[in-house]
Amino acid sequence: MSDDTTQPPPRRHFLRQVITVAGTASLSSPLAVGGGAAAIVAAGGAHAADAPAPAAAAGLIGYECFSADEAAFTETMVNVMCPADQFTPNGVDCGLAIFMDRQLGGAYGKGAGRYMSGPWAQGKPQLGLQLPLTPEQFFKAGVEAANGQAQSKFGKTFDQLQPAEADGFLAAIADGKISDEAVPLAAWFNELVYPLFVQACYADPLYGGNNNKVFWKMLGYPGLPATHTLDMVNYRGKPFPGAKDPKSILDFS
Amino acid sequence: MIKKLEKRTVVIVGGGLTAGLVSRQLTAQGIDVLVLERGGDHTNGAEAKLPSQRDELRWDVRQGLVQKWNVQTYTLRHSRSDTSLPVRWMEAFLPGEGMGGAANHWNGHTWRWSEYDPTLRTHYVNRYGAKAIPANMPLQDWGVTYKEMEPHHDLFEKLFGISGKAGNIHGKKQPGGNPFEAPRRGEYPQKPLEITEAGSIFRQTAEKMGYHPFPTPAANSSGVYTNPDGQKLGQCQYCGHCERFICEAQAKGSPEVLLYPMLKQRKGFELRLNSHVLGVNYDQKTKRVTGVRYLDLRSGQEYEQPADVVVLGAFTMTNTKLLLLDKIGTPYDPATGKGVVGKNFCYQTTSSVNVFMKDRWTNPFLSTGSTGTVIDDFNNDNFDHTGLGFLGGGMISANMFSGRPIVARRLPPGTPRWGTKWKQANVDWYAHSFGMSIQGSCYPHTENFLDLDPVYKDAYGQPLVRMTFDWRDNETKMSAYVTKKMEDIAKAMGADIVGPAVPRKSPFDTRMYQTTHITGGTPMGTDPATSVVSSHLQHWDAQNLFVVGASVFQHNAGYNPTGPLAALALRLGDDLVQYVQRPRML
Repeated sequence: MSDDTTQPPPRRHFLRQVITVAGTASLSSPLAVGGGAAAIVAAGGAHAADAPAPAAAAGLIGYECFSADEAAFTETMVNVMCPADQFTPNGVDCGLAIFMDRQLGGAYGKGAGRYMSGPWAQGKPQLGLQLPLTPEQFFKAGVEAANGQAQSKFGKTFDQLQPAEADGFLAAIADGKISDEAVPLAAWFNELVYPLFVQACYADPLYGGNNNKVFWKMLGYPGLPATHTLDMVNYRGKPFPGAKDPKSILDFS
Repeated sequence: MIKKLEKRTVVIVGGGLTAGLVSRQLTAQGIDVLVLERGGDHTNGAEAKLPSQRDELRWDVRQGLVQKWNVQTYTLRHSRSDTSLPVRWMEAFLPGEGMGGAANHWNGHTWRWSEYDPTLRTHYVNRYGAKAIPANMPLQDWGVTYKEMEPHHDLFEKLFGISGKAGNIHGKKQPGGNPFEAPRRGEYPQKPLEITEAGSIFRQTAEKMGYHPFPTPAANSSGVYTNPDGQKLGQCQYCGHCERFICEAQAKGSPEVLLYPMLKQRKGFELRLNSHVLGVNYDQKTKRVTGVRYLDLRSGQEYEQPADVVVLGAFTMTNTKLLLLDKIGTPYDPATGKGVVGKNFCYQTTSSVNVFMKDRWTNPFLSTGSTGTVIDDFNNDNFDHTGLGFLGGGMISANMFSGRPIVARRLPPGTPRWGTKWKQANVDWYAHSFGMSIQGSCYPHTENFLDLDPVYKDAYGQPLVRMTFDWRDNETKMSAYVTKKMEDIAKAMGADIVGPAVPRKSPFDTRMYQTTHITGGTPMGTDPATSVVSSHLQHWDAQNLFVVGASVFQHNAGYNPTGPLAALALRLGDDLVQYVQRPRML
């Protein structure tokens, strides 16, 4: 799908939202800034996933971790990786940027559970990342480096790129074709950013991504509570009806 | 200031499966037992209740039930000439924490190993001659026979309500079961789990090819079950949240369901949680241990806990670490081949292939941790190795363990990693694909071993365990051979797409989950020159110290370790009843 090329570049989209919010003091926009963790709007509204152009539902609002530049970068990235199409709304409306913001601003982003003692040395990739940065710090360092690389390649930051350019740029980073002196961008994308993207799509909507269970509906994952003793027999080798109407933790909270 | 506590009869380090089983045998005879467990009690936590139990991000991806790597991780080097580095976030294997240990978040596969496994060296020498075992493969017999372990296997399967189909009862082959199975005294306590669509497809093809498919023996309870102790399991709901999760339906045989609640009612049993053991007090002169030192994590107070008998029942690596820290026994030296502590460190050689069939509904979410259909035709020495240039093998199975959407989506090779085409492939294949996998043996190698890292320390200031490990020739050749057999089956299924079947290759990669089946480091045997503990799991250099768990395995087979590990724990419990009454070398 290429209908995303008709959308305004994401940075302008993002700034417009900021201005709107600042001007009207409204928090009704799903992209409103400043809502913080308390401004949680429960996922609601019935939007059928099989409709031709699924609409977004209200999700978490307001970035608690990203700067404006980081938010613009992330929004552009998730809209390229998850364009609005017959399957889902665009990445921002699916909550993918908010998911990343919350994860990176929370325990995961602060390096919870990671062994962080020195000395620090680089080794084979199979030993895992050996960087004295938390995931949050690494994410931000990578955004800055990627923007620097975009600047030298295109003369503009990543969020100013056309979707096709941005898509190719991300692929080049993933393939190790764009390197940065300071930040290992391929590892940054493949071991930090890409897993976050997949988690944002498929984690329980509790965490702000997969808004309105849109990815679960697309996939046909029935979610909770899953008491399938009889289903195992009755639906072995057949389509499972529950897959069309998944249930998340939010539905039981 | 360390505080000294009153002496206890038996103190067990680690409150997991083995400690629960040893305690069951001891407390049944009224013997006083104290178990020290570093973690807490999960029973009433978010991890064990709906809806929070079904949180893939929290429990699976972020490893909510797993050892905290910031507190304690492992360092790795692939060879002695490399410099070790700490694995800062481990994906390859997942030790547990808290009452029940890793047996809380296990998948439930419960195997008896091949009849010849405990006498593997003798078996290979008899079949292929002594030269068939390479000089760098220190295979040893375990000093115990399958026949001696069988009653304990039988008891464990009854205690945990194992669901399966016998293939060999008293030497008589049983249709529908595993013809390579070691002889059993009877059927499994419960009927097998329901077969998945993937299992049906696999079974049909495997049978057509002349192989012998059967259902994976499972601790996921196929029915409502009451065990000989009166402890109950619910019926499995096939929710696909087993491995990395606690079963909220109490339908997975686990220590926190079947052992600890019962033990807590028994006189003389005490479980002390949040108690991290720092060391074993060892008197070199008398060659006896006098107790353990531990830190109460709730108060920060360090205690000395005297004991008549100490049992190390922690995760594989921790058993080795505690012996090395307090210099009990001779550390293994790969340069000379001498010494034993840290020796015969093995992992498990896995590989997999994805199968895509657009007209079949495989519904991956209708599954449980052990819904596998498997053949044993190419496992261990179930096939002739003459001229193959390797020893060992692996089970080949069609596994459907979960449809959890973050990690359990299969996409055909060449699928873009994002964008509309990526979504399309997700839609097309999620419910129309399945994985086949191999769980293969891993035999010891003189250059694969454990010791203490010279540089990196844990949160308590103690050295991390250092793994020197890589996939060596024997395992990579074995994997190439068995993986090709798996690929042949996959291609015979009439699939639309068969993904790449990539055998396991060096270097060992910590970034991807393989199995938590880590074995060795404190191997058992009849000769102190090649074993840390005797065939009764008694330390050669400390008569009142015992070690139990997969750390005592001399090698790893193409099976999950839980069966023999549990059988050995029950046997140790019986041995300790005798030992406590009359201490001696058993």
